[in-house]
Amino acid sequence: MSTGWSFWVMFLVVLNMGITFFLYLWGPRAKIPTLPDGTSGHVWAHGVLREGVRPLPMWWVLFSGAMFVAGFVYLALFPGFGNFKGALGWTSHGELARHVAANRAELAPLMDRFKLYSVEQLASDPDALQMGKVLFEDNCAACHQRSAKGNVALGAPDLTDNDWLYGGSGSDITTSIHDGRSGVMPPWASLGADNVKNLAQYVLSLSGSPHDAARAAAGQPLFATCAACHGADGKGNQALGAPNLTDHIWLHGGSVADIEKTIGEGRQGHMPAWSPRLSDEQIHVLAAYVYHQSHQTSDASRQ
Amino acid sequence: MAYKHFEAIEKHAGLLGIGIAIMVSLGGLAEITPLFVEAHSLKAPPGVHPYDPLRLAGKDVYVREGCYLCHSQMIRALRFETQRYGHYSVASESVYDRPFQWGSKRTGPDLARVGGKYSDDWQRMHLMNPRQVVPQSNMPGYPWLADKKLDAADIQARMRVLRKLGDPYSDADIAAAPAAVEGKTEMEALIAYLQGLGIRNEPDPAATPASTGGAP
Repeated sequence: MSTGWSFWVMFLVVLNMGITFFLYLWGPRAKIPTLPDGTSGHVWAHGVLREGVRPLPMWWVLFSGAMFVAGFVYLALFPGFGNFKGALGWTSHGELARHVAANRAELAPLMDRFKLYSVEQLASDPDALQMGKVLFEDNCAACHQRSAKGNVALGAPDLTDNDWLYGGSGSDITTSIHDGRSGVMPPWASLGADNVKNLAQYVLSLSGSPHDAARAAAGQPLFATCAACHGADGKGNQALGAPNLTDHIWLHGGSVADIEKTIGEGRQGHMPAWSPRLSDEQIHVLAAYVYHQSHQTSDASRQ
Repeated sequence: MAYKHFEAIEKHAGLLGIGIAIMVSLGGLAEITPLFVEAHSLKAPPGVHPYDPLRLAGKDVYVREGCYLCHSQMIRALRFETQRYGHYSVASESVYDRPFQWGSKRTGPDLARVGGKYSDDWQRMHLMNPRQVVPQSNMPGYPWLADKKLDAADIQARMRVLRKLGDPYSDADIAAAPAAVEGKTEMEALIAYLQGLGIRNEPDPAATPASTGGAP
């Protein structure tokens, strides 16, 4: 606030407090001309209402006095009187910094302990899982669902099935969260509608799903194109994030129509990088929570 | 001053009303006027640029559809807000928002720094029907946005008006607008707007040290 505006605020505060404080001091002492009937002579409604003259009640005087004291003390301690910062030097940003520091100090022992463990070890730590659950629901659940079972319509993978697009080790999961992932499958409509249908049947045959054998056989030679990413045996490639086609897990849906759409139109999956939003410590805890989702039974048997 | 001077105020309701109005307005004059006047001299910090044509169109869709009725764009300087949403909002971040979208109602989450939190596909599915991605959501869907194409001439007119108000759009910026919004739908514009929120205008860490409450 500029000096001019500071003086403007000071002037108004002094004016306001001055007028009210003057009235407060002067009111009880004012000489009020009193008629013999004990009224001030002010009448309303043709004399039906008359103003009596009584001293101000003591509770009112004390209460108002306390309000003035509170007001003056507030202006002395806190910002309010123009640019005067107040004796306490309080600011909302300073208070935020204190709360953040206090929270950090409270979590420090926990965070220091978490750092000692790998993601895999941390996945059986109840404290880490509790913290990871909150982080997951705030940040990840919008795509992967609160249950972590993913969203086929969006192409967000199920995190509970231990089938990994980019690898399921602790460091792989950490990298996925930290840097995000972008999966690109190009569209293959250029092969022709019939070939897309044949390929879809062949892809279904890879996992032993019900399929049209004749079309699958016709699609088999075309799979050489797909093998560049999905591998000759269709088992996928975690370095590229190419899904395994031989299990019954379908990132974008496993119906014939879904698979034909995937082949014909291609798919783009995008997971944002979380390093700008989450600290490395938080990502470590989150990775442990995600790891835990697909290793729950083994944890239970270990304990 | 004597008691008789007050008789006039007591007996004339109009005079009493004027007296009350003066005393009550003192607070507003002290709290609102300086901020109101100084807000107009606020300069954009480095990194805050006027909206590009697509995001500008998206911002106007955001305002038209009343998104501000449920979503604020104002992260307060409170720990539970900075921890969830990121660095608290500062006034200079919204110098190019006309009107600003701070809002005072949160049925949904704050969006001041939602840019990049979700993928474009997520945003599209969410705007078409929020239940597709967030089963618990009570937000309405906005599927018609995907059918409506942007009008380039209209965007240029808006840019010219904003330039009159002081936004630094160049002639070249305005001339390039039709190419930028060519064939785009309102849905794409809104997604572009949302994906840019809070990304390029986060307060400079050097100017406001992290100790004053950056995202922990």
